[in-house]
Amino acid sequence: MDAIRTEDLTKHYRVGFWRPRPYIALDRLSLTVRTGEVFGFLGPNGAGKTTTLKLLMQLMYPSSGRAEILGRPVGDVEVRRRIGYLPENPYFYDYLTAEELLEYFAGLFGYPAAERRRRAASLLDTVGIGAERRLQLRKFSKGMIQRVGIAQALINDPDVVFFDEPMSGLDPLGRREIRQLILQLRDRGCTVFFSSHVLADAEALCSRVAIVAAGRLVASGQLSELLAFQVRGWELVMSGVTPDALSQARADREIVNAVPIDGQRFAMELPASAAPERVLATLTASGAQLVSLTPIRETLEDFFMRQVTGAQRSSNG
Amino acid sequence: MADMRIIAHVAINVFKESVRDKVLYNLVAFAVILMGAAYLIGQLTAGQDVKIIKDLGLAAIGTFGLLIAVFIGIGLVWKEVERRSIYSLLSKPLGRREFILGKYAGLALTLLVNVVVMTAALYLVLGYMDAQFTEEQKSVWAAPALDAGMLRAVALIVVELLLVTAIALFFSTFSSPFLSAALTFGLWVIGHFNADLRNFENIVESPVAAGLARALYYLLPNFAAFDIKSQVVYALPIAPGYLAVTVAYGLAYIALLLTGSVLVFTRRDFK
Amino acid sequence: MTRSDPRGAWMSGALVVALMAAIVSLQHTQGRLEAATPDTAENLLYVRSPAAMSRMALSYDAVLADLYWIRAVQHYGGTRLSTDPNKQYDLLYPLLDLTTSLDPRFNVAYYFGSTFLAEAPPDGPGRPDLAIVLLEKGLRVQPDKWEFAQWIGFVHYWWRHDYAQAAEWFQRAGDLPGAPFWLAQLAATTLAEGGNRQSSRLLWQEVARTGVNEAFRNEAVRRLQQLDAMDQIDQLFQIVGAFQQRYGAVPRSWDDLGRAGYLRSLPVDPTGVPYRLEAGSVALGEGSRLSPLPREPQRLIQ
Repeated sequence: MDAIRTEDLTKHYRVGFWRPRPYIALDRLSLTVRTGEVFGFLGPNGAGKTTTLKLLMQLMYPSSGRAEILGRPVGDVEVRRRIGYLPENPYFYDYLTAEELLEYFAGLFGYPAAERRRRAASLLDTVGIGAERRLQLRKFSKGMIQRVGIAQALINDPDVVFFDEPMSGLDPLGRREIRQLILQLRDRGCTVFFSSHVLADAEALCSRVAIVAAGRLVASGQLSELLAFQVRGWELVMSGVTPDALSQARADREIVNAVPIDGQRFAMELPASAAPERVLATLTASGAQLVSLTPIRETLEDFFMRQVTGAQRSSNG
Repeated sequence: MADMRIIAHVAINVFKESVRDKVLYNLVAFAVILMGAAYLIGQLTAGQDVKIIKDLGLAAIGTFGLLIAVFIGIGLVWKEVERRSIYSLLSKPLGRREFILGKYAGLALTLLVNVVVMTAALYLVLGYMDAQFTEEQKSVWAAPALDAGMLRAVALIVVELLLVTAIALFFSTFSSPFLSAALTFGLWVIGHFNADLRNFENIVESPVAAGLARALYYLLPNFAAFDIKSQVVYALPIAPGYLAVTVAYGLAYIALLLTGSVLVFTRRDFK
Repeated sequence: MTRSDPRGAWMSGALVVALMAAIVSLQHTQGRLEAATPDTAENLLYVRSPAAMSRMALSYDAVLADLYWIRAVQHYGGTRLSTDPNKQYDLLYPLLDLTTSLDPRFNVAYYFGSTFLAEAPPDGPGRPDLAIVLLEKGLRVQPDKWEFAQWIGFVHYWWRHDYAQAAEWFQRAGDLPGAPFWLAQLAATTLAEGGNRQSSRLLWQEVARTGVNEAFRNEAVRRLQQLDAMDQIDQLFQIVGAFQQRYGAVPRSWDDLGRAGYLRSLPVDPTGVPYRLEAGSVALGEGSRLSPLPREPQRLIQ
């Protein structure tokens, strides 16, 4: 059984008050997420990611098409018992403390009082705000609210979780913690469906991704298989590079460009055809030391730009 | 069927919110007004002191309740949607119907607590005043100070407030708070003049106008029906069955508004 | 329930219809019970003191005046239609007083209000004194309003049969700027031969011609028809007398008079309702709009 399945899911509505015109927020989206996988739902802002999640949560009703979670239609209340959802930029009742909020949500699942307290306490520890559990939410920072949001999505030990931009508002340390949390969820057999506009998150976590732009599915599959994201070259930074070694490497066409940073430290660009291991070995043998080696890829943003302009071109033509 | 336990769970949270937002502070204002008035009127004396305290107390119970019902009622649903706290809430096993009914029940609970405390305070002040007069002085009173019949007026005030809350909630499922407040107050004012529409056909000749007046008389909420303050203060007889019919009328109207609220709300897209 | 669930929609629709029906029927019952509740004065008036009311009305005094005016009209109309033999119009004056205090230039309230008040029982409270008080209040606010002065004279004339006072007020009205010339003439006639049909006819003819609105003009036409009916009744009475002299007995029906050649057709009043002949006296027929005919002082005197 698939965790999530949509078939031609479409949402359009009218925008503008005086002269309403139709706006297609999501156009015939069909995708399948398998049980137990971490699935990245990628796209620039306004691509239809949040709309898709709202349709899956029945915060909106589709104009046409179908959606199922765990083999049941999305409207089914039984489905809600087995899922968790973190909205984009979440907001919660600011008159409650973090603990009270989680206990309130736990109560909606019908857990007895002791169980509510236990779950609230353990989840607040998990997301790293155990110390602030008695603080009213009005005093929380954006990053802390984001953590509360993740905790509430997990209150019922869900089988499928939906995270809308889970990394937003978090500092680099926080992002790493959330990445680890998502991997832990995966290890427990939980399916994770998350949306992001940051490619690095997807690379670090996902088995598969889908990419949407302007309301349409542009590509889906394993990230490494998506041609657009294959390595276009490398950036090699080394110190103690001698001019001889550098000109030799240029002569061998193993580097296309070299920019001096300071003294004998150089940032060198390697073409995709080059084997970085051999260049590295040659230069190391000449006495240079490795500073960093980074693959150069098309970024998600570049990809989106191309797709969006392509989509516009096709809709104009 | 609606899950009562879930509704109660949502309701208690609404009550908690109103307590944290210091809504019940209005009770202090009520007590100050009542005791201040009792003191001042005691200075003036005219033999009608107890009547004035009753008038004032009942009017204040209704007015404070009205303000709470309208100003919290219009925000009940709107605030959750506007601040998007409803997104995570509705992803839980909580139907939209239960959400609406729970929100309503929560404000109803707040209002009920309010009215009960105010009524108790009113009887306390009246009891104090009762002790200040001799039996001979009391003989001119239309009704005894601690007249339990006054509770009939309080009961109808409660039903009236519940109806106002249902109106505010209904409007807030689809319009902005400002508009909801204006519409709710408007209906409340018009509803108090509802009885004037009843005999309209006696004074207009056009059958269209008479029919329109009659239709409005039946469709607009008849708030005047809930006002028996002067009758209880003067201990005048109230037609048998009046209370029961008026309460039934109020409850039917509330049920209609809640059904409407649920219908509107379950069909809404949260963009 | 979801948006796409047709069964849920049907059930909700049925529920809404059922609740609306319940509301209408309960409102109906409630209205009946409310009418049965004795105390209406307090509810209808809220406040009896016009001064206090004006202060509390804030900027809504005109609207409130309209409201109290509607209540006054309803109170008058409702009581007039009531079949209760002990009916009283006791709220009429307080309601009119409130209306005209909230909006002192509410002229219709003075005109109609004084007419309502002056009307004799059972069609009115029979309080011409209060009608005059109300009109004098209007005259204090608008001292140049000759119509009010004329109306006071009229109340004196028609309801109080005080022709000296009536003539004085007609004269006063005629002296006000913009008053029509015939008021002076009316004052003179009233003083000379007050209460006779000719001067009454003159009075009503002027109202029928110049009345403030159609209701007033219609009323004047009705009063003129009453005067005509009174003339006709006098004539018929004379015919009955002639019949009696000739045959020694009163006619039992109009047919008797017809057969004897005194009448060519069934006598009808100006509204088309046949006159009644009973034991030799002539009266308006059952259900005529013209009844009751006004009391005629001259008859009483003669």
